[in-house]
Amino acid sequence: MILLIVLSVTLLAAAGALVAARRWKRPGAARARVVLSGGGTGGHVNPALAIAEGLKAREPQTRFLYIGVKNKAEGVIVGKAGYELRYVCSEGYPGISFSFKTLRFLFKLALGIVQSIVILTAFTPEWIVATGGYVSAPVIMAAVLLKKLGIARVKIFLHEQNSIPGQLNALMGKWADKVLLTFPQTLSFFPKAAVVGYPIRNSIVPIPAEEARKRLSFSIPEGRQIIFAFGGSQGARTINRAIVDALPFLFAQRDKLFIIHGSGLACSAGYNAAQDTEQRIAKVLTPEQNSHLCDFYYRKDYFHNIAQIYSLSSLIVCRSGAGSLNEISRIGKPVLLIPKVNLPGDHQVMNARAMRKAGAAEILFEDTIMENGGLLEHLDGRVLAEKILALIEDRPRLCEMAEMSKAFLRCEAIERIVSEIHEDKRFTDGNGRVAPFRDLVANARLLQMLSNAHARSGKHFDPALVVEDPDDLAYYRHRAAGLLSRKNWQDRNLGVKLIGLTRHREKIPTLLQMLSDRTPAGVVRRAFGGDFEQVGFIRRNIVSALMVMGRFDQEVEKHLLEAMEDPYFEVRAQACRAVAHFGPRLAGKQEWLDRLLEHLGDEECFEVAIEAAKAVGEIGTESKAAKALLSMNESHYWQVRNAALLGIKRMIERGVLEPSDELISDISTFILTSTDFRPHFQIKETYAALRKCSEGLKGVEICSQKASGSNTAAGKIK
Amino acid sequence: MIYELCKFLASYSESFSYFRLVNYITFRAIMSALTAVIFIFIFSRRFILFVHSHCFLDQVRETGVASVFDKRGTPTMGGVLIIGAVLVSMALWGDWRNPFLLCSVAGMVWFGLLGLWDDISKVRQKSGDRGLSERAKLLLQGLFGLVFAWVCVGRCAPLGCALATKVYIPFCKFPLADIGPLLYGAFIFVFVVFVSNAVNITDGLDGLAITPSIFVAAVLGVFAYVEGNRIYSAYLHYAFLRGSGELMIFGAAFVGAGLGFLWYNAYPAQIFMGDTGSLAIGGTMAVMSVLLKQEFLFPLLGGLFIAEALSSQIQDKIGVKWIGRRIFYRAPLHHNLQHKGIAETKVVIRLWIVAGILALISLATLKLR
Repeated sequence: MILLIVLSVTLLAAAGALVAARRWKRPGAARARVVLSGGGTGGHVNPALAIAEGLKAREPQTRFLYIGVKNKAEGVIVGKAGYELRYVCSEGYPGISFSFKTLRFLFKLALGIVQSIVILTAFTPEWIVATGGYVSAPVIMAAVLLKKLGIARVKIFLHEQNSIPGQLNALMGKWADKVLLTFPQTLSFFPKAAVVGYPIRNSIVPIPAEEARKRLSFSIPEGRQIIFAFGGSQGARTINRAIVDALPFLFAQRDKLFIIHGSGLACSAGYNAAQDTEQRIAKVLTPEQNSHLCDFYYRKDYFHNIAQIYSLSSLIVCRSGAGSLNEISRIGKPVLLIPKVNLPGDHQVMNARAMRKAGAAEILFEDTIMENGGLLEHLDGRVLAEKILALIEDRPRLCEMAEMSKAFLRCEAIERIVSEIHEDKRFTDGNGRVAPFRDLVANARLLQMLSNAHARSGKHFDPALVVEDPDDLAYYRHRAAGLLSRKNWQDRNLGVKLIGLTRHREKIPTLLQMLSDRTPAGVVRRAFGGDFEQVGFIRRNIVSALMVMGRFDQEVEKHLLEAMEDPYFEVRAQACRAVAHFGPRLAGKQEWLDRLLEHLGDEECFEVAIEAAKAVGEIGTESKAAKALLSMNESHYWQVRNAALLGIKRMIERGVLEPSDELISDISTFILTSTDFRPHFQIKETYAALRKCSEGLKGVEICSQKASGSNTAAGKIK
Repeated sequence: MIYELCKFLASYSESFSYFRLVNYITFRAIMSALTAVIFIFIFSRRFILFVHSHCFLDQVRETGVASVFDKRGTPTMGGVLIIGAVLVSMALWGDWRNPFLLCSVAGMVWFGLLGLWDDISKVRQKSGDRGLSERAKLLLQGLFGLVFAWVCVGRCAPLGCALATKVYIPFCKFPLADIGPLLYGAFIFVFVVFVSNAVNITDGLDGLAITPSIFVAAVLGVFAYVEGNRIYSAYLHYAFLRGSGELMIFGAAFVGAGLGFLWYNAYPAQIFMGDTGSLAIGGTMAVMSVLLKQEFLFPLLGGLFIAEALSSQIQDKIGVKWIGRRIFYRAPLHHNLQHKGIAETKVVIRLWIVAGILALISLATLKLR
């Protein structure tokens, strides 16, 4: 019975395939047929529609079918544009894990592929143009499947809007006939690719400034430099808040500049752009400033004719989404970019870097901070204001940036795409290959590089010497700061280490907050010896990060004092080390000395006692300190006794303790027996010395593993 | 070989009757121990030079203890010597028809080869941390554990079906329970994997793993002798295991090989046993104690190994990877002691003393039941 069903299904499928294959081979069909796909957000749908318009302009008879997902942006936009629309199932890739989500994803994808096969065989397109987003996943997979089976004769084109390919495009790029790119830097990802630019419908064209000014619904005084800040159609909270925060700092220059602020349409429960901005203005500005506000600031939720505003602006402040960058490049304006963090592949950061490399943009990174227990992206208003003023005042640079901006992305993107699809080779100026990005290193590798450098150069350590490009360093810092808000502590721990080693001093307040954070860990963890949400390693590493960053102020002092009483011994030991490190600034402070002396008696954890004794040597100034160290003469651990002696030695070196006969008789009471010793192997020392001098003489590396090994050990056997 | 030859000669002619000496297990045990020691004394220097010229040298590994001196470049894979000595001595003095012996030798060789693979790949990749991946290692150990568990509870169990799944615990005369083949098989599987890794972890300081292993092998040898002897086993109320006496010879060979190895491995070491040695020793000890029904004695007898393994696992899996703090200063146990400022030699000798005391207590369980 089952066999019969299987057999009949197979037969049916084979017959269907045959029919479909014949349909595809239909000779000389009158009209070209194109399937468009891609969506989820407007950023994917609009390029697809722009390409459709381009194809239509060339061959008006072309038939289009848009395949999308229900209840998404394409439902509205495509319908409006008047294209036929079909829906399939699909879902965002949740990452492979054994969970319900993954199962649902796989099921939906499979269903979507089957639906797509049905739709494709019915429509028999010649071309499929997909613009990314998970929506197009099943369509492309179905098309690739049909192609491999020899049923469909269809060409697949993918368009990638960002400088770092999305997951789907990265995966399917191999099977596509051509991948069409916006950024030349992306070429290294795909073998069959062409740089075409970003297709948009013909709404954005530069308008002469005079004309634009005339058409404005509000007035701008003559002779002002215009700054346009916006965060996309929905608005960006970071940008909105930062620009408002920057107003007091820009106030002094109000007769030179004018700020146009597009705050966005967002009005959800989480964030209401207009309301939040109004409230913030009332909060940040003094009444006097507020009364002059309309002289140099204009806010509106959304500008319908954005090209007009672009054309007027001297500087644009915005997110680095591919769409915005393309529009700006087309108008040719200098731009200050604030990339959105924590996006897949950090593609906004990559876009921004591409534009920065081209000389058309400056970048500011937003921070992730903790506010009211929640995490929040944040950009300091003063930093933004300073950056804006610096740019505005440097007119030649602005002009240069504008030029570079104009040359940044390819114009005629649609024409190029249509030409690529028709394969008529109309554009022969190559694919604009530029050097790909210098690879950014992953966090783990960065940590290794930095900590090696730190171990090598000690006090003279400077992250800028390890990471040469200041932009890269800024990005690494920003990435490290992003790690602090992760859920699992291993990531946060990595972030702490990286912040220390990249000397990201702006994050010191966050680190201090984490250091003293006493949110308890989960019950199970506590049962096994865990204590707080910010686990022991994190707290320990925060203290050592503070040492690397080398900034010591009242806040740091306050939190270090707390860390001295931390329940975890490594934090206490590290805090004592920090005291020794910052010794000169703490010397003579009674409170600190008392705290250290308490820890001297920490027999339970000798590590703390050792570090405390050393630290006493650094900060102790009075006889009390010396006496305490001398009283360690019969301590159980030889390391503690040793550290006490070191401390006394240090006090003499610092000149706070007078060498005297009494002191000699005091230190002679120390127990000098030890359970440890340091063996020395003469042959190894001789070998090392010989090797050093022969390296010095010859300057030749003779350090093959074999040579080193056989010399040492052969000697030992004899 | 000698065993077979002597037996043949003794049965062949009356004039060779003194060759019946080989029927005495104690005699063969002493001879096998001597053979193993002599084997090591003869071959070790050549072996060390061989390892040198082929660059099988120990690779650096991050231990977290401020290293007193650089041990890099010490020849490794000394386990090959130990295994070789035991095999040769068993070839000469063992009865190869004995299932106890076969199981033990199989365990030793399997784990030895596994360790050898690991050692070689470590040398190839020039790093002490890479090598065979942890997962692959566990898989191969588990494979042996599974097969061995199946043999132990199966129809051709060397112990006999009646006894195979009974649980004996130290200080207790009668079996505690019969937990059935499935549960018991699972236990054997876990036990074998755990013990072999425990010795691997213990092998971190010069001479630290080998001496406690000698103690364990010696005590297990005594147990083998008692349980394989009808009179003694009846007297001490042990189940009589026919043929288990052969394990005494095996244990003696092990003791001999261990002593010979310690000659070179004592601080400062001229050769390390490497994973080859530690896994082989661990595997052998696990198999022997299961075969002698002393698997529940092992936590006492090999308490040092257990403590080392547990401290290392607790520190790594619970502390460092999960709750994000150190639970011990350092792990495993011997590094903790070093970190507290005890010299390597002193740590090693102290742990030997601990292992010796544990072995004595374990011996006492022969009568204290």
